[in-house]
Amino acid sequence: MITIQGLSKSFTTRSGERVDALRDVSLDVRENEFLTVLGPSGCGKTTLLRAIAGLVPWDDGDIAVDGAPVRGPGPDRSMVFQNFALLPWATVLDNVAFGLRMRGVGRAERVERARSFIATVGLEGCEAKLPGELSGGMQQRVGIARALAVRPRVLLMDEPFGAVDEQTRRLLQEELLALWEEHRMTVVFITHSMEEAVLLGDRVALMSARPGRIAEIVPVRLPRPRSRDAGGVARSGEYAEITAYLWERLRDMHAEHRPDRAHRPDKVAS
Amino acid sequence: MFRNASTRPNTTTPRSATTPRRAPTHRKERRSGHGTQAGPRPARPAGPLRRFLDMNLPYQLLTFAVFATGWELYARARGGLLLPGFTETVRATAGLLGEAELWRALYVSNQALVLGFALAVVVGVPLGIALGRFPLLERYADVHLNILLVTPMAALIPLLVMSVGVGTASRVVLVALFAVVMVIVNSRAGVRQVDPALIEMARSFGAGERTVWARILLPAALPAVMTGVRLGLGRAVTGMVLVELLMVSDGLGGLILTYRGLLKAPQLYGTIAVILAEALLLGAVAHWAERRLTRWTRPNTSRTRPARSQR
Amino acid sequence: MTAPTSVERRSAGSSRRPTAARLRSLPAAPVSLAAGAVVWEAVGRTADASAVPPLSTVLDRLVAATRQGTIVSSLADSLVNLALGFVISLAAGLLVGTAMGRWRRVDAALGVYVHALLAAPSLVFAPVFFSLLGAGRASIVAVVVTYAVFVVVVNTAAGVRSVPPHLVEMARSYGASEWRVLVRVALPAAAPLIMAGVRLGVGRAVTGMVNGEMFISVVGLGRLVTEAGGRFDSAGVLAVLLVVIAVALAAIALVQAVDRRVTRWVPRTWKEEG
Repeated sequence: MITIQGLSKSFTTRSGERVDALRDVSLDVRENEFLTVLGPSGCGKTTLLRAIAGLVPWDDGDIAVDGAPVRGPGPDRSMVFQNFALLPWATVLDNVAFGLRMRGVGRAERVERARSFIATVGLEGCEAKLPGELSGGMQQRVGIARALAVRPRVLLMDEPFGAVDEQTRRLLQEELLALWEEHRMTVVFITHSMEEAVLLGDRVALMSARPGRIAEIVPVRLPRPRSRDAGGVARSGEYAEITAYLWERLRDMHAEHRPDRAHRPDKVAS
Repeated sequence: MFRNASTRPNTTTPRSATTPRRAPTHRKERRSGHGTQAGPRPARPAGPLRRFLDMNLPYQLLTFAVFATGWELYARARGGLLLPGFTETVRATAGLLGEAELWRALYVSNQALVLGFALAVVVGVPLGIALGRFPLLERYADVHLNILLVTPMAALIPLLVMSVGVGTASRVVLVALFAVVMVIVNSRAGVRQVDPALIEMARSFGAGERTVWARILLPAALPAVMTGVRLGLGRAVTGMVLVELLMVSDGLGGLILTYRGLLKAPQLYGTIAVILAEALLLGAVAHWAERRLTRWTRPNTSRTRPARSQR
Repeated sequence: MTAPTSVERRSAGSSRRPTAARLRSLPAAPVSLAAGAVVWEAVGRTADASAVPPLSTVLDRLVAATRQGTIVSSLADSLVNLALGFVISLAAGLLVGTAMGRWRRVDAALGVYVHALLAAPSLVFAPVFFSLLGAGRASIVAVVVTYAVFVVVVNTAAGVRSVPPHLVEMARSYGASEWRVLVRVALPAAAPLIMAGVRLGVGRAVTGMVNGEMFISVVGLGRLVTEAGGRFDSAGVLAVLLVVIAVALAAIALVQAVDRRVTRWVPRTWKEEG
């Protein structure tokens, strides 16, 4: 579905230092797969996602979606942003319809489709509200509805629940899972939370920082539908095992960047 | 403030409409490449031409050259007694700098400027601070201040001339009037903006009213006060020129009127250039002083701050 | 208007005194204006200085001048100057400011000059306009533009430049063209700053109008001021000044009404920064 081969991108910091945001990243995302990308901050996972979205140029390598090389943003992909990226002056309805409007969808159809996706994310009745009148969790529901409204084949999610509180975050995760069970599609989901990566993903692509590269792809063979309820996968031993394994790997990566603590990784906390 | 060339080697597409010059602080990775075209592009270090094109100075010089050439051509084609060419004006300006007449005018004008501006600061800063600290006072003064802010002070010139005559006094008072409102409004805003948590913090350590003033209120208000002083200086220069142009034909403004009467257009334009130079020089000095005194407030000062707080 | 800070809470303690409490409960602006009027009248009567006539004399003069029609016709002339100058400033300011905010090279080419002209005493250009455009309406309008345009340019450029990058990126991720990014994202997002610039601009335009008319003394309220000043008619000067202040306040109120409509979406916390 998405093929990434030998993707490299570097940039120069203000101090003139050259940093490899991505070095030789290769990755295949399968049709209707939920792939989570996990890594320490600054590892280039957001850059990777923005490259797939066609929002940034890169130095070397190829990205293709269904065999077609990515040359810019396209109707087959849509993105959900960490800070929601809602237009503060537009109503919920206009925000959800934004992508459709940019794609040239006529007014009547735009409104109809926007309304139906607003209902999908459970925001009926909020159509005329402004984003500023909604809670963070509701704002991100608007962001998700906007992304879904254009009926993309690939949903790119950039730490979508990173800016909401823990309770809301758990609710949104469960809603997203339910949504995905219903409308299967390919999802690339960036996160820095191990629990989130394991709960949501079919596979976890673990990235290392500086240079940003895929360190390991960890399959998550937990049954679906998944949930945090009693008897749900989040209570299972395997879930805990994978999470613990990911934490070990991440901790090692941190240690590599903290030479003062490299020789006693047991002292490294968070 | 500006992205340097090396962050986006070989971007052939123009910058996106609205990407900010400063990298947003919440992003770890700086954006690079702003064309709508994604896809691979070969990495290549920035060449000297690229770096040259990313500097400001070439464009500034270009603008100036276009302006000067346009002026010169227009003056040659349409010019008359009152419209000298650019080169003629430059020569006249240089000549003016050797004339005692100009230096006397500068002295006369700046005398009023210094006295009037000092008066505005001495009156305006304490008044503004008092207004900021005592809300009841401010509630009643607010409407008058708002009216003063929009009042064209120049219209008061005839009254001043009537009451104190066509002398230094009326010019000093007018300069002070021009500057003082800006100083008051910004000083008031400075005190008003002080984080109440800081005052509570000081109180929690047992600070009395005097200590709160000396250690918290005044230092915290200083940046805004200095902004007011800087803007006030600009208004003071305006007032200085205005009063001389409109009523009291003395100093630099008087010189403009004299040259206009004598139809000495190059010298007239030269005087205007001198006034602009002085305004810019004083503005630059005030800006520099402001930044020196309040360095802690702005880790990243942007050159083009919007004029939102000036009211 | 002000947030309840500890500064206010502190002085709230002093409101235990009954007078202070009474003062607090009154509508400040009208009371303060009335007090100002009374003080003016009293000072004018007692001082008996020709430069400070009592308010009643000024109002008498205002009524008389209005009856004669001089005020009305001059006001009409001034308003035409103001409107022409302001509309030109608005159009040019938005255009140049957007270009500066959008293209780095335009900003590099014009930025310094715009800032220099914003800080410069604008009236010094009046003699230049005088020689270029003659002693007429065109010169006065040019002075109004010199006063008003640069603050609009600077604020528009700052507004367009400070559009949140994630919104631009979001629009582009849906395939928005540069033009649509500008119209649907950049300009709406820049609206609060642009409107702040327009508000400052309209105030400056009124000042420019009066100063221009005083300097190029052919039409308008400014000419009335100069003429009254020449006759040592201080009541006449102040009567015209009252009209000018009314014009300024009305113009600003108009812009603020538009501002409120345009930026209704802005959260209150943002607005209080301004």
